[in-house]
Amino acid sequence: MIVRSLIGTLTATIALTSGALAADGPIDFNRDIRPILSNKCLFCHGPDEAERKADLRLDVRDDALDASKGYAAIVPGNPDESELIYRVESEDDLDVMPPPSVANPVTEEEAELLRRWVEQGAEYAVHWSYAKPERPDLPEVSDPSWPSNPIDHFILDRLHAEGLAPSPEADRATLIRRVALDLTGLPPTPEQVAEFLADPAPDAFERLVDRLLASHSYGEHQARLWLDLARYADSAGYADDPSRTIWAYRDWVIDAFNANMPFDRFTLEQMAGDLLPDPSESQLVATAFHRNTMTNSEGGTDDEEFRSAAIVDRVNTTMTVWMGTSMACAQCHTHKYDPISQVDYFRLYAILNNTADADLRDEAPLLPLFTEEQLAHKAEWEQEAASLRETLATATPELKEAQHDWERAVLAGEEPFPDAPKVPEPILEILRVDASERSDEQAKQLADHFLGVTPLLQAERSRLAELKGKLAPHTTVPIMRELAGDDRRTTRVQLRGNYLDLGEEVAPGVPESFHPLPDGAAPDRLSLARWLVADENPLTARVVANRCWEQVFGQGLVPTGEEFGSQGEPPTHPELLDWLATELVRTGWDLKAFFKLLVTSSTYRQSSRVDPDLLERDPANIFLARGPRFRLSAEMIRDQALFVSGLLSPQMHGPPVNPPRPATGLNAAFGSAIDRETSTGQNRYRRGLYTEWRRTNPYPSMTTFDAPNREVCTVRRERTNTPLQALVTLNDPVYVEAAQALARRMVREGGETADDRIRRGFQLCLARDPSEAEREHLLALVEDARLAFSGDPEAALAMATDPLGPLPEGAAPDELAAWTVVANVLLNLDEMVLKR
Amino acid sequence: MDPRTERLQHVTRRHFLREMPAGLGAVALASLLNDGAQARDRSSGDPMALRPPHFAPKAKNVIYLHMSGAPPHLDLFDYKPALVKHSGQDCPDRFLEGRRFAFTSGTPKLLGTPRTFAPRGESGIWMSDAIPRLHDVADEICLVKSMYTEQFNHAPAELLLFTGSPRQGRPSFGSWVTYGLGSESQDLPGFVVLISSGVQPSAGQGAWGSGFLPSVYQGVQCRSKGDPVLYVSDPPGMDRSLRRRSLDTLNELNALQAEELGHPETSTRIAQYELAYRMQMSVPEVMDISRESPTTIDAYGAQPGAASFANNCLLARRLVEQGVRYVQLFDWGWDFHGTGPGEDLRDGLTNKCATMDRPVAALIKDLKARGLLDETLVIWSGEFGRTPFREGRTSGGNILGRDHYPDCFAIFMAGGGVRPGYSHGETDELGFSIVEKPVHVHDLQATILHQLGFDHERLTYRFQGRDFRLTDVHGHVVDELLA
Repeated sequence: MIVRSLIGTLTATIALTSGALAADGPIDFNRDIRPILSNKCLFCHGPDEAERKADLRLDVRDDALDASKGYAAIVPGNPDESELIYRVESEDDLDVMPPPSVANPVTEEEAELLRRWVEQGAEYAVHWSYAKPERPDLPEVSDPSWPSNPIDHFILDRLHAEGLAPSPEADRATLIRRVALDLTGLPPTPEQVAEFLADPAPDAFERLVDRLLASHSYGEHQARLWLDLARYADSAGYADDPSRTIWAYRDWVIDAFNANMPFDRFTLEQMAGDLLPDPSESQLVATAFHRNTMTNSEGGTDDEEFRSAAIVDRVNTTMTVWMGTSMACAQCHTHKYDPISQVDYFRLYAILNNTADADLRDEAPLLPLFTEEQLAHKAEWEQEAASLRETLATATPELKEAQHDWERAVLAGEEPFPDAPKVPEPILEILRVDASERSDEQAKQLADHFLGVTPLLQAERSRLAELKGKLAPHTTVPIMRELAGDDRRTTRVQLRGNYLDLGEEVAPGVPESFHPLPDGAAPDRLSLARWLVADENPLTARVVANRCWEQVFGQGLVPTGEEFGSQGEPPTHPELLDWLATELVRTGWDLKAFFKLLVTSSTYRQSSRVDPDLLERDPANIFLARGPRFRLSAEMIRDQALFVSGLLSPQMHGPPVNPPRPATGLNAAFGSAIDRETSTGQNRYRRGLYTEWRRTNPYPSMTTFDAPNREVCTVRRERTNTPLQALVTLNDPVYVEAAQALARRMVREGGETADDRIRRGFQLCLARDPSEAEREHLLALVEDARLAFSGDPEAALAMATDPLGPLPEGAAPDELAAWTVVANVLLNLDEMVLKR
Repeated sequence: MDPRTERLQHVTRRHFLREMPAGLGAVALASLLNDGAQARDRSSGDPMALRPPHFAPKAKNVIYLHMSGAPPHLDLFDYKPALVKHSGQDCPDRFLEGRRFAFTSGTPKLLGTPRTFAPRGESGIWMSDAIPRLHDVADEICLVKSMYTEQFNHAPAELLLFTGSPRQGRPSFGSWVTYGLGSESQDLPGFVVLISSGVQPSAGQGAWGSGFLPSVYQGVQCRSKGDPVLYVSDPPGMDRSLRRRSLDTLNELNALQAEELGHPETSTRIAQYELAYRMQMSVPEVMDISRESPTTIDAYGAQPGAASFANNCLLARRLVEQGVRYVQLFDWGWDFHGTGPGEDLRDGLTNKCATMDRPVAALIKDLKARGLLDETLVIWSGEFGRTPFREGRTSGGNILGRDHYPDCFAIFMAGGGVRPGYSHGETDELGFSIVEKPVHVHDLQATILHQLGFDHERLTYRFQGRDFRLTDVHGHVVDELLA
């Protein structure tokens, strides 16, 4: 088998070891049996009627036990009478199931599990994630002094069962860097570190967490993660990938996180803000969530095809983001493993199929947005503009007089208004007609033309142009707008997912195997949004809790955060997941409180140090006998380098920016040049989330660190470790510039001795002092580098200033060049690109 | 010796290894640095570690030559004397009913080729006079005249060809191949993309993206201007010895971390920095075609320092020689609508082909001469075909052009265990539909994967609860194309 995912297989194996294999214990259907049925049987004997063979269905107990043909697939308590057991154990090529041609045999261990399951009565259970989470009691723990909060009870209980023990708490410097990166995406400043280290109060850590949660950087960091789910980009996608103006939505997300908008509200506004009573401007902006789908404006394409593709994407994204349920299969056929039919799919499609957007190049419908200044003056400006328009259209006696003079002059071949454009031919023609012979229409045209060019009204015209500029929207954002009346579309099943091949008509609704919409609720987006966050929904709270967990611990309690269905992996700590899900709902979907809960646990605060035994036992840190440690995201690595060097701009919000990127010299197909002008001033140094996100030409260094292109919803980014990443942080001018600025900062703030400067560099970058050995190595490096540059002033100058710019007054180039080499090493440390 | 140089050279990698603290980090590191291959194991986190395919492969490497825009197959490979005979007549309704064409409506005029055709080589494969140098390799190539697709716009058709789906978001061919096989090369990317004629293909980076596969499997674009691979040059002012010296310090500090915290990923990172260091040398070296003999450079029609398809063909050979798994070339300018003299089927096509047939023929001969053709599969294609009638917009002018046509087109392959000197499939006498042995784009993909040792139905990746594959839910290996 080819690797399913870089971490997936490993975790599956580990989770199994604690299953029923070892002992004769009771079989758990969801843990032991469902994966076998799902992977080996249900493709032909599952929910999909079209694929079903021998009219046998194994995912429903009644069907599996049905003996109306004289025998039954399963006879509870009697494996030897069960056709299923005979078939999977058979050595006869003609009888054995799955058939040898499928090349997916049931293993001996699996056959044994099936046999024991039938022996024990072949009890089925609803797939764990489709049953509503029940709040479990906290397990009693062996060491009551260790837990800081309920999370730790579950973790410690499991560690105990596995014969493992937790690690000691990480030191404070490590902790503050870890938690600052997790909550804000930025490392702490040396001043924040000093404040925390000097705080003797028992709740020092909690108060630190509160400070971090209250900073604006929190919302920016959380937004970055949400924008992967929302497939936010500043371009429309497909071949020519034109720019799209939708950054107001990105800013809405940042502000919503910073305001700690409850997640259920956050859901309603994005899914259906326009359908809320008397929606505010901000609620309309929120609906751009589903306008992040791609639009195709290549010549010769069918808009309906791509409008339909966008609705498909909205169905898939909605179910993935909120319910961890992949619907993609059911677009073309009834799901083979989970109880979702193709009709179910198009029920959801029908709910989302009635908005006004239609794959148009102009992205209509758009919401114009105005600044506060504009809004404050809007009425006054509009009034002034109206009165100016009237003035400009009114021929006073004085103007009539002036018009006569102008007419005479023009007819005499003069140019009375040399600054105005040449008198156009149609006007000249009217002029040549005798004044008394002109029709009313001609007279009006002539007067209008005159009023439009006469210098007597120049001041009014200029002012009107100015007002038009002031009244123009500051920006626009594509939004959802529900169609009404005859414009509403009917939805039909698209056979094999083809938008031209239509089957039966489908009424809007939710998948039948889930909880229904409330009685009397209109089957629209607003009801769907409420359904997603309803108390009866078994999935949403688990999915959200799991995603927050994954963000902080590196891996979800359900390792496949995008798939909670039977094809996903089961939770490693099912009770903990359910406790967290119920806690999230109990606190009113308060995300800041939820993150605080996670990071103040003893589990989170453990040291991430690992010894070879533990590493061999639990390489992926499933059981959490140590603290989390993993590579930072693309944006975090960039933001951190700019932050520690003092370059990062604190500016929030606004249009996307273009930090330096290498020129390609290429054009897009049938389009314009791909390269962009580099932003200047502060915009060169903004946080990564403000970088213009172009789907077909993503910012290269971010791609290298596993940022997706955001064509579709991304739940989980991979974390690879490649040589191309080394080239970015060593040589990309963005990182060289950061090294130069960091070097100047180390020299400026560190003090006179090399020791002090190295210490300052460590404090800025890693929130700690260097060890003796680290200091020695860097001292040797700076000495060697200084030596190398002392004979080569040109190289020294380049190293210290290209691209950052001129040296501070009085600075020696070889000195700063040498420190730039040191700073370049610091920015590339393993510890630097990791949270640990 | 200059004392500075001496001091720098003193602190070499070996020295660093000798001086390093003993323990887990040091041992792991020593094995990484001394024997890269030993550490190239995916469980240790190297996603490019070699892995075996499903069965013994015929080909190890792929060079895919893509003519962006779709070359006029009826003027290059698929000779239709009857179309010449009826040239200028109204296109019969039966070929137009219920059809949409990108830029043609109403009743267009049939267009017989203005080119001269003849059987070429001992195998007698028919080719036109537009590609004289390819006549010399007629006995090496495996021509498929019965290709078809469903997409008649460039971007979706290229995406279908390279990712198996007409929409963005799926992994590309080269990503699947490097994901499946890993990379032979220790100091070059496994999947390299080379672009000529100044314009990206219509599918954009989606044509070499990794989709939902880890991004490490996406194609690395090598550029003819600036850094051949992004950020491969040291920053201004830093020479190689100082880079080496600073990397040594970096390794030393990272080794201390590995020692203290015991995470194997740190050792992997050290190894990746060493690989990056080697790439800094090997990439500019392999990209420098001036190292080739004048005879070879001339055979390809390449020009050191320029940016051209010919240079890219020569580079492709250099890259596979160095163990690069999959080299993808895109050349812009094959969209022969007839909207300008460059898109005319007479002189325009002659001129465009002159930039293509010489390097392609040279590449095939060169690979053969070096014993690389057996293990290297060369593929030449467009994303669809062109109509047997004149394009609607340009039909009134003097310039002869054709519209997009998905129902029939021609591609060829060479080497990598495909049947040489063979012509596969036939279209009807006017070239409107396939009458013999149709080959869908998914069949081509299945066949190429087969040559690399994969069962295309088993090369899968789980995403959003589904096992995805390059051929989606389609595709059959075309056995007749295999030697």
